[in-house]
Amino acid sequence: MVRPVAMPKLGQSEEEATIVRWFKKEGERVTKGEILFEIETDKALLEVESFQEGTLLKILVPEGETVPVQSTIGYIGEPGEPIPVAPALAKPAKKVSAPEHPAEAAEISRPAGGIRSRPSREVVEAPSAEQAALEAPLPTTKEALSIFRISPRAARLAKEAGIDPSPIAGTGPGGRVVERDVTAYLKAQGYDQLRLTPAAKKLAVRENIDILKLPSQGQGRITVADVRAAMAERPTPLNRMRQVIAERLSQSYRTAPHYFVTVSVDVTDLAAFRAELKAQGKAYTLTDFIVKAVALTLVDFPVVNSTTDGKSLRWHSRVDVGLAASMEQGLVVPVIRDADQLSLEEIHAAATELTARARAGRLNPADMTGSTFTISNMGMMDVENFTAIINPGESAILAVSSAQQKPVVKDEQVVIRTIMKMTLASDHRLIDGAVAARFINAVRQRLEETILWKRLA
Amino acid sequence: METFSVVVIGAGPGGYPAAIRAAQLGASVALVEKEELGGTCLNWGCIPTKTLIASSDLYAQMKSCQDLGLSAEKVSFDYRAMVGRKDRTVQTLRTGVQQLLAANGVKVFKGTASFEGRNRIVVNSQQSPGGSPTTVIGAERTIIATGAASAMPDFLPRHERVVESRAFLDLKLLPSRVLVLGGGLIGCEFACMLAQLDVRVTVVELLEDILWTLDADVRRTVRQHMEQALGIRVITGTSLSNLVPDDRQVRAQAGQEWLEADLLLAALGRKPVTAALHLANAGLTANSQGFIEVDEYGRTQVATVYAIGDVTGGVQLAHAATSQGLTAAENACNRRLRKNEKAVPVCIFTSPEIGTVGLSEREAREKDLEIKTGKYRFAALGKGLALGHAPGFVKWIADASTDQLLGAQAVGPHATELIAEATAAIRAELTAEELADTTHAHPTLSEAWLEAAHVLVGKPLHFAPKKKI
Repeated sequence: MVRPVAMPKLGQSEEEATIVRWFKKEGERVTKGEILFEIETDKALLEVESFQEGTLLKILVPEGETVPVQSTIGYIGEPGEPIPVAPALAKPAKKVSAPEHPAEAAEISRPAGGIRSRPSREVVEAPSAEQAALEAPLPTTKEALSIFRISPRAARLAKEAGIDPSPIAGTGPGGRVVERDVTAYLKAQGYDQLRLTPAAKKLAVRENIDILKLPSQGQGRITVADVRAAMAERPTPLNRMRQVIAERLSQSYRTAPHYFVTVSVDVTDLAAFRAELKAQGKAYTLTDFIVKAVALTLVDFPVVNSTTDGKSLRWHSRVDVGLAASMEQGLVVPVIRDADQLSLEEIHAAATELTARARAGRLNPADMTGSTFTISNMGMMDVENFTAIINPGESAILAVSSAQQKPVVKDEQVVIRTIMKMTLASDHRLIDGAVAARFINAVRQRLEETILWKRLA
Repeated sequence: METFSVVVIGAGPGGYPAAIRAAQLGASVALVEKEELGGTCLNWGCIPTKTLIASSDLYAQMKSCQDLGLSAEKVSFDYRAMVGRKDRTVQTLRTGVQQLLAANGVKVFKGTASFEGRNRIVVNSQQSPGGSPTTVIGAERTIIATGAASAMPDFLPRHERVVESRAFLDLKLLPSRVLVLGGGLIGCEFACMLAQLDVRVTVVELLEDILWTLDADVRRTVRQHMEQALGIRVITGTSLSNLVPDDRQVRAQAGQEWLEADLLLAALGRKPVTAALHLANAGLTANSQGFIEVDEYGRTQVATVYAIGDVTGGVQLAHAATSQGLTAAENACNRRLRKNEKAVPVCIFTSPEIGTVGLSEREAREKDLEIKTGKYRFAALGKGLALGHAPGFVKWIADASTDQLLGAQAVGPHATELIAEATAAIRAELTAEELADTTHAHPTLSEAWLEAAHVLVGKPLHFAPKKKI
């Protein structure tokens, strides 16, 4: 019997996921437990196992497409079995609706259910809950929808001409675009007067570049170079991660009134001490010291270690420090739990492991939630100073810049010292200026006091 | 001081057309030439060599005309007469250029040009009876077209038995044994011509093969013909050392072996001619190899100064210089800016001839492009068979996904003529289908392009279909 394959639901907040890769082609055998496809959510990449055995009869959602969780994304059955007719064609409105059975979906996604941890990657079993899957919205592709707007003949003519038919006004039944509309449009747009080389046309058709929108680069005709320029400028959708970053950071910057307090930290002695430790075979990064100093200070300043939903304030008894890490596709914030309780060595181990996994894109959603304060360190990027946007809900974020040699006045003398600027961005709803100043100076003092480090290391 | 809107330095195949085009566009134009109108191409390059090759080619055909049912006895040649014909041909063309320049109102200055400033040029003239040996002219725009000269590296002894191509063309007698140092296009053209004239020729090339920039299949065809049909000894991957010329001969060592010849012809590339220009006075600098770098519009670092042809590096060919010269002249005359043409054919008058244009398979590989090729041999054409011996082939290189024709190579009879069609097709960005839909006259050698395009499209007419496995 033919059974649907559904997009798994991975957490309470996940509403959509993107198919990154199908590991099987249509027509290939799949055994139970074999990895069937890989998905990208706004937080992580995950490999999904097949819960069923059979032949992958149909892939409904191709690689790169995003659909709501619980959507049917393919069918598994025996060769020759008929595939259910896509019902969603008639009800495209369901495309973006949230899943109807969130509770059930959540159950499926709990670790006790199908999720099995692997060394670096989470593996999830595709839910076989046929009931849920059959009721779930079916993704509707562009082509499927467009049948109603444009006739196949008209679409083919537009495709062959290398133009985008969407601006064409239809005169067919129900405003449908028919062949004569495309012909009239081409004529009105002066299509016949266009001078374009055969190779340019072929490339434009293949790449879905609208020939009518191609500017010629002055050689008197549209050439392959013009089409390639248009291809390079083609907008690409933000990936899931960037969309999430955009949404969350905009929201934070809009709702939390940010203000910034900057201090210069003299890390000359700390750098010397670090070198000393390194010589003893204990290699710590400056970040390790900063995380530790911040965690200790947060214990003294609970308001800075608090989160808000905009109406209430919540102090946290634990100090979970988020470390912003950049990766190719965007930004992630893995969390070092109970940073105030950890030794420097433990902080170093945790930070190293988390950033390595972040760079590889292999963090689990759980690694990235629940921080109570965040540090953004651009020390390795050779920057004088910068400000950061508060991780939504938290009350402040510390932006750490590069340690640079500077002339400074010390004991009435101008001397060369290693100075590192730090800027605290605070949510003024929660933290007033005086608190922010005291907090950041306390962090500074801790970093400058090597006696403390000698005790801790 | 007389001031011109455009001053062109160098009257070679790049400079004199630039001067004419600028004049056609209404500019007042001066053209400075230190030697002869027509430059290297007309006087010591393309034209004289092709004139001699016309003789040597026909002589070679006469020697082997039995295959065509002909007989020619006591076939011989008079090299002195061949050189005389070459000189007359050159003179005719030179006079033609002179008349053209005059008719277009281009003022020609005889002498060596140097920049005195960005807009001031001094012309030094050695023989200027009665007048001042130097003239200063003003230039609103300048086009540098000083070209290149044969490289004669220091390791070559200065001796009458060691010559480069220009000096060789002035010889009145043909040596009987020639050692050609350098298997590039100039070296190979001379080697083929000399071998056709019964000279014993040895070519020594440092790189792994002669004509190294060409695709391997083209090289193979030419080398095979040079070695087997013309009896040229080709030594590759070997440097020449211990070169000793004396009164009677030249001796040199290639690897372990000692080679002897009457003459050594050095064909080791061409170096830009910029020494006399005093580029610094115009605010210009040459690059590390001595070339004047230009952008795709022919502009140098200085807004009013353009450079074209061999002196800019790149493709050192007469017609490339001409094309760049016309573009620079138009750009200098404030016309809508035009880019230098990219589809520049390369023609090599070896035996057999070679014509290439656009991307080679090797370049496509280097650029990681997905390509496909379509090849067709002349021997499979009716006309090829009718001609008798027709070695070689044509080859298209096309974009694998769009079928756009990106490059073409031809090796064989009239390859240098045949490449023109491919150049037009590539410049027009034709696809293989378009070319395959173009009617080609029968029976001609140009049908090879059609057949090769059919191969690209996957529907060859005169191949048995590939067996489906």
